[in-house]
Amino acid sequence: MTTWRALFLAEFRLLLRDRAQLFFTLIFPLLFILIFGFIMADVGEVTARLGLVVGPGADGELLATVLEESGARSVERFAQAPALREAVIEQRIDFGVEWNGDTLRFIYHANRIAENATFRQIARSAEDSFELRRQGLHPLLLTEREDVGANRDLGWFNLMVPGIIAFSILSAGLFAVSGHVTAMKERRTLTRLLVTPMPTVALLVAIAAVRLVIVFASTLITLFVAWGAFRLQFTIDWLRYVALVISSTLGMMGLGTVIALVVRRASSAANLANILAMVMLFLSGIYFPIEFLPTALRRFSQGLPLRHMAEAMRAATGVFEMSATRFWIIVLVFAAAAVALFPVLARYVVRVERR
Amino acid sequence: MGILRVARAHLVTALRERVTLFWFLIFPVFLLVLLSAVFGRIGEGGGMQFEIALVDLDSAGEGSFSSIVVGVFEELSSPREEGKESLFALHRPAADEDPAAFLADETARLQRGQRAAVVVIPEGFSVGVQSALMAADGGSPLVVRYSEGSAASEVAAGIIEGMVAGVDREIQRRAGRLSEAGEVVVSDVTVGGGEGSEYIDFLLPGIILMGFFVNGLFGIPGSILFARDRKVLRRYWVTPLSVPRYLLGLSLGHLTLCAIQFALLFIIGRFALGARIAFSGLDTIGILVLAAATFMAFGFLIASLARTGNAGMAIANVLNMPMMFLSGLFFPVAGLPAFLRAIIRVNPMSYLAEGLRASLGVQAATQSILLLVGVPLLWILVSAAIAARRLRWDVAR
Repeated sequence: MTTWRALFLAEFRLLLRDRAQLFFTLIFPLLFILIFGFIMADVGEVTARLGLVVGPGADGELLATVLEESGARSVERFAQAPALREAVIEQRIDFGVEWNGDTLRFIYHANRIAENATFRQIARSAEDSFELRRQGLHPLLLTEREDVGANRDLGWFNLMVPGIIAFSILSAGLFAVSGHVTAMKERRTLTRLLVTPMPTVALLVAIAAVRLVIVFASTLITLFVAWGAFRLQFTIDWLRYVALVISSTLGMMGLGTVIALVVRRASSAANLANILAMVMLFLSGIYFPIEFLPTALRRFSQGLPLRHMAEAMRAATGVFEMSATRFWIIVLVFAAAAVALFPVLARYVVRVERR
Repeated sequence: MGILRVARAHLVTALRERVTLFWFLIFPVFLLVLLSAVFGRIGEGGGMQFEIALVDLDSAGEGSFSSIVVGVFEELSSPREEGKESLFALHRPAADEDPAAFLADETARLQRGQRAAVVVIPEGFSVGVQSALMAADGGSPLVVRYSEGSAASEVAAGIIEGMVAGVDREIQRRAGRLSEAGEVVVSDVTVGGGEGSEYIDFLLPGIILMGFFVNGLFGIPGSILFARDRKVLRRYWVTPLSVPRYLLGLSLGHLTLCAIQFALLFIIGRFALGARIAFSGLDTIGILVLAAATFMAFGFLIASLARTGNAGMAIANVLNMPMMFLSGLFFPVAGLPAFLRAIIRVNPMSYLAEGLRASLGVQAATQSILLLVGVPLLWILVSAAIAARRLRWDVAR
């Protein structure tokens, strides 16, 4: 027990000194959330601030009503077209509408290319409705949206936060072996430790326990900041959350073992882990939905552990529906990876190197 | 001669290191291709596929309004071009399947994120539309079940609504209700520079600046600090090479790496991804050189603040994300709170991004040329002054 406690404390101090790992585990999620929380505050909302200019002699009342019904958050009236265009350029409004009685002109900001897709959607809907009502007609085919999502009033950012938490778990687990253990090997501190009576298992348990402590701290701080700063709501299923954090952290240590077996040099192993983590971050539906990816990458993402970790974390924090079977299969697969790869780690990676 | 040798050594070392190759060359290309594939086609439906379930509870037979709607969905679920995916992957109940059970099952899938939307054609839909043709009120609504928390579901629901509105207009036109002669003329206009620009034209300058930034932020401190930690620098100082000549060589090597980065991204952006912007204007070239110099100076500043190579990388990592994302490089930053806008105002990347895009004609400059050039220049001066005072050229004894 004394050995284990000493190892735990030593590992804990080492981790606190490892700035790169601390950054990716603790600071990165917080920075990410604070920056993206403000940038993405409106993402997912199909509403816009509109400006309207009505030419002399044209009736703008019907158009204003239609625009409001089509998803405009606000409709600001402008006296002249140049003033409206100026407001679009300065982004005081999202897009503008000029109506002279015959022509309907929608004014978009050239730089808001991705957002313009949403604005055009609102514009097309308004245009269809306006045309019919102007001719005294009513739509024959109506659509009625019915939100059946388990969690109403959630935005994309609600899904992003658990994704980032999953990424910090991945980093902690992956770098524990491919960064930390390989660095210990390179500095020969591992050899010095292993020639003492200390069992290898005690060292591995200490490394894993420290990662678990830091991962639990990091994920809880991240959730707390997301709630405190942006009032994001999470309904955490603690049993699922704890099971997922433990199994995925250990599972990612298993993946780190594979990297450490392939790449022996500490810096190369850490670099490879870093590259893999970053590529996975972009292809796992964390920054943008999987559906937006090109076909081949969408299929490729199915095989990425981070994608499943992110989805399971969303389920554990109550922002995404997932069947209990799928959730526990994900947990079991990560746990199985850990069980299968820890003996490999103990035997082939954590061992005395012969000169 | 010594300057050229240092430049060559810096360049060869960078190109030999696989990790440098990845972060400085492969990663920017990966990001350019990925982001243009993802965001470049939003709204056009291209390259995306949504899993949609359709349940026809009306089943009014051939020629009915429900069968027209079903036909349109089926059309959109077949590939638009050979070898390309359809917009919708359509799921429909089997002939002997209970539609109500299928609907419940598909709704559960939607809630689990396995479907983007579930469309329900309600019972009596065709009769409702028929009577709406005669009467003054609207027909029975088509129900689009979606999940508000899912961006993909929101986009899919929007596409379906737009599609139904289009079908509606076509029916009204064919029924002789909608007068084509009296239809409003509709046009879309873009303002703010870059009229007719595609997303790739907006993205490419951003990725090039990102490449320069990462190169300066990590490359310069990495070269100096790790060479200092490993006592390689100490060996230089016993040769006739002076510190200024070493710095000149390092800067030359760094700028050559930036040029390679630029050439690669430009070729891929222009010839593989269809960017139309040309980086041939003198003002554009000037901004690119200014950007490379600013980020290089920033790298020297970090090197002067860190005691070891690892500490330098940690500082670079902490600065990397806020500087990149709080600059308008990839996302609009107009609606951010005051304290974040303050960071944007002092961030040289904001000015360089705007200056470069303005010089390329993809964005109208909102700042004066004095600020667009002056703020990065000020950063170069401040960084150089601090680095000159603080940067140590040997490990502490």
